[in-house]
Amino acid sequence: MEPIVPPFVPVLLAALLLPFLGRRVGHALGVLATAAVVPYVWLVPEGAHIPAELFGFRVVLFNLDAFSQLMGLIFGFIGAVAVLYSYASEADNLQTAFALSYVGTSLGAVFGGDWLSLLFFWELMAVTSTLLVWHYGGRAIRAGYRYALLHGIGGTLLMGAIVWHYVAVGSFAFTGDGIVGGFPQVLAAIGIGVNVGFVGLHTWLPDTYPRPHIAASVFLCVYTTKTGVYGMYRAFPDGEIAIAYMGGAMAVFGATYALFQNDMRRLLSYHIQSQVGYMVAGVGIGTALGQAGAMAHVFNHILYKGLLFMTAGVVIYRTGQESLKKLGGLGREMPVTAAAFTVAALSIAGFPLFNGFVSKGIIISASHYTFEAGPLAVGDYHTLELLLLIGGVGTFLSFIKFGYYAFLHGEYDGSVEDANRGQTVGMVIVAALCVFYGIFDGALFAILPFDVTSDAVVSHVYVTYTVAHVVEGLTLAAIGLVGFVLIKKPLSRYGGAVPDIDAIYNPAAFYGTRSVVVGVTELYAAVDRLAVRLADGTGRAVRTVGSGTFDVAGRQVAVHVDIRNSVLVIVVALVVALAVVL
Amino acid sequence: MSDLVPIAVAVPIFASVVALLAGLVRRKTGWHVAVAGSVVHVGIALELARRALFDETVRYVVGGFTSPYGIELVVDGLSATILVLVAVVSLGVLGYARVAGPRSNAFYAAYLLLTAGLTGLSVTGDLFNMYVFLEITGLAAYVLVATGEGGRSAVAALRYLFIGTVGASLFLLGLGYAYIATGTLNMVHLSELLAEVGHTTTLVQTAFAFIVVGLFIKVAIFPLHTWQPEAYASSPDSVSALISALVSTVSAYAFVRVVYTVFTADFLAANPLARDFLLVAAAVSIVAGSALAVAQSEVKRMLAYSSVAQFGLIVAAVSLVSETAMVGAVVHLVGHGLMKGGLFLAAGIVATATGARTVADYDGLADRMPVGAGAFGVLALAMVGVPPAVGFVGKWYIALGAVESEAWGLTVVIVASTLLTLAYFARLVERMFFREAPEVVADGADATAEGTVTPAAADGGDESPPTGRVTLGMYALVVTAAILSVALGAGVVGYEQLIESTVTSLLS
Repeated sequence: MEPIVPPFVPVLLAALLLPFLGRRVGHALGVLATAAVVPYVWLVPEGAHIPAELFGFRVVLFNLDAFSQLMGLIFGFIGAVAVLYSYASEADNLQTAFALSYVGTSLGAVFGGDWLSLLFFWELMAVTSTLLVWHYGGRAIRAGYRYALLHGIGGTLLMGAIVWHYVAVGSFAFTGDGIVGGFPQVLAAIGIGVNVGFVGLHTWLPDTYPRPHIAASVFLCVYTTKTGVYGMYRAFPDGEIAIAYMGGAMAVFGATYALFQNDMRRLLSYHIQSQVGYMVAGVGIGTALGQAGAMAHVFNHILYKGLLFMTAGVVIYRTGQESLKKLGGLGREMPVTAAAFTVAALSIAGFPLFNGFVSKGIIISASHYTFEAGPLAVGDYHTLELLLLIGGVGTFLSFIKFGYYAFLHGEYDGSVEDANRGQTVGMVIVAALCVFYGIFDGALFAILPFDVTSDAVVSHVYVTYTVAHVVEGLTLAAIGLVGFVLIKKPLSRYGGAVPDIDAIYNPAAFYGTRSVVVGVTELYAAVDRLAVRLADGTGRAVRTVGSGTFDVAGRQVAVHVDIRNSVLVIVVALVVALAVVL
Repeated sequence: MSDLVPIAVAVPIFASVVALLAGLVRRKTGWHVAVAGSVVHVGIALELARRALFDETVRYVVGGFTSPYGIELVVDGLSATILVLVAVVSLGVLGYARVAGPRSNAFYAAYLLLTAGLTGLSVTGDLFNMYVFLEITGLAAYVLVATGEGGRSAVAALRYLFIGTVGASLFLLGLGYAYIATGTLNMVHLSELLAEVGHTTTLVQTAFAFIVVGLFIKVAIFPLHTWQPEAYASSPDSVSALISALVSTVSAYAFVRVVYTVFTADFLAANPLARDFLLVAAAVSIVAGSALAVAQSEVKRMLAYSSVAQFGLIVAAVSLVSETAMVGAVVHLVGHGLMKGGLFLAAGIVATATGARTVADYDGLADRMPVGAGAFGVLALAMVGVPPAVGFVGKWYIALGAVESEAWGLTVVIVASTLLTLAYFARLVERMFFREAPEVVADGADATAEGTVTPAAADGGDESPPTGRVTLGMYALVVTAAILSVALGAGVVGYEQLIESTVTSLLS
């Protein structure tokens, strides 16, 4: 099949039409437009591209290679499911229109064949996702504002990196070598780091994602961070040690903080950081195995994280409660939701026979066989590998906690309905895929950019189901289970109130900006006062000399002060100009 | 037939006199005369622009005296662009003024005189002639500002008069120095002779300093902007739209002309300190203007300070001596004129329909005035520089020029300026679209009744009453400005090729 239009076109068109259509027709159109992306990018041959012109530069709006194809497949699929879920969860048309514009711009970003179009859609993505958050109103507005600010800064840093790259290379096209070395790389890493949630730059994740509409969260949890991972690969196609370790740190940090959370969606948001940590580690390792693992994990993560946000959304939708403290015993009330949650939780934690086990295994294997041992290697385990394994234990711990408090612990007062039909359809499809890709790992390997089962492509052939690997998965699960029993008591005492880094930089940003504004205003006032005093002094001096001009002007009440000191400023400026030029 | 050039200047002057005289016969005829004059003016401007952009530079020598001695009028790609902007915006604002007023014939006479002054400034090829038109523009602008009701606009106009006159005088002094050095006033001839005299001689340098400071006042570069916020904020909405869109824009054009055509890029190369002076002034203006805009509570004052920052960008582009930045400067001049004029008109219809004049009054505006708020939002975002609007393209080229010239400090300021612009516009956009409207309308009516009884309540910051009717035409005008601000962004690529030769010859 020949490429006709870039994949974002039908999705953005659907977004434009949606507000003017009925709810049912509009959402049906949304499902169609996003679902159509899946066969479309699958059928278009690799290497296809559509050139165009943007701001007078030659750009490529549709660039299909193995990486962008995988992103397009999963983005289109989960988009369709999320629109269906929105329909079932009473999202209004405008919100879904914002969500689709967000999906469309993300597709534009991953299919952009050069830095300029990537950046263009990257910035639009920040705008559309902010609108999606803002649409919900209430507490989402302030969080959305912080989100917009942070992403504005991140986008600007990336823009700086790209402009610098352009000046050095003379072209925006992807060369396959990433961003030019040196300072631009640092800028790009930090700019993209905002999107993927580097430790320290991640606070927007748990801050923003729990607040909007439940269906909006499903969209949000997918696109921004994964596009970030994709962008990270484009910027660092050969990997970077520091980024790999940052990935490991994210995996541990996110999982640890998740453990303390009681708000369901906040807990899940910290897990986005933790899981994206694995992907960032994979990209940072930079070998074929690492990159294949990162992309596989992007694919799987979108499935189970979307599913987790859907199940959490159903719980909120039916009970109105966001906090695990106020829930319990829902397993009997909502069997379908509980079952879907169990599948998703086992997937994210990396339990054998579920899809997370496959892709997490690739990355851990890459960290062991194709990456340096690092400073803190213990026995046969490398530093990064250890970090990733510890992150895995944390994941087990927090999802046992989630499942225990939401579905098992205690009894729920009164009766709660299970998910409605549309929600059920969405959850079951995704849950089935989570299991499918866990059992038939070959289906996943087939869409990866590098064939991990061929020793011609990767330096260490990956086999999912070996005794050692399965034992490793079961051991992590066992440590998680035992650990949860041990820390259950103390955890319930400290839950929720653990301050994150934003406790420092929210006030810092607030007082910082305020002091700049106050500073400038005060400075201006001070200059003004000084000028007035100078002008008064000069006026008096001139009067004593006997010139009458100031007396005459002096009678024009109230006006003369302004004019007088304005003219004085002019004279000062003139003197400065003369002094500088001469 | 290059006679069209003086006719472009003469038409508005002629119409101005007609408007004044017609007023003696019948009142309220000024608007019709002005529209007729402006339509002709737009036609001439477009024809001249077509010739200048597609054929070659149009030259005309007044009175048949040959070039170095006579007064020359020149229309090249750059001045043609500004000329069209002047003509189109003047006609557009007239559409707004029809119902919004002021309605007197004298007002329209001054209005047309301003158009004439601006046109003259754009086409003149003679430095003294430029001073004359600068004064005509200034005087007409003072009069227009003073047409507002109440003492506030009179005071603002007086202040504008004093400061503007000082600016023009400094320009004249600088011009005098240049004349002493060279004995000519024709711009092209001056540039040759100045080079012969030597760019580093005291006389030439002094002339540069005086002229630049004089023009900085007219352009309203911080800290010489003191006349500008009050003048914009206190004048009638149609006047603030017109002068904010055009007066500083054309002055900035004059600044570009003087720096590049008269003093040339060689002067800046020979005097690196002069270049640094422009650069620092630009950076200070960008930062201080934005910061002061953030601090404003009145919407029109905020827009006014925003102009201080935006013109800082233009001066920054001029100081870079880079073709890319120069293209950016021209695009941003036009784009800013359009967007700022549109924003003032949008602020005008909002104030007319709802009485909202302060930032706080804009709460929930989207529910009360969806079209007005929508247009305002689009224009604001375009000004911030959200792609693909024209505001983005202009800043993009300027930033690219800064990077190419390796002026890293300035690059940082330009990028930061986008954030600062976002700071003050996001505040409004958030209020308009994501906040609830204030409680009950009846409260506002009560406050109004009190306000009219006790003048003391007027400065309490309460919403003033709706002052009039907003017609469909006024809406259409603002929406057109919003659409243009986005659509023009796409046209820049083609336009860039058209003015490429002009910019190249300007910088050589």
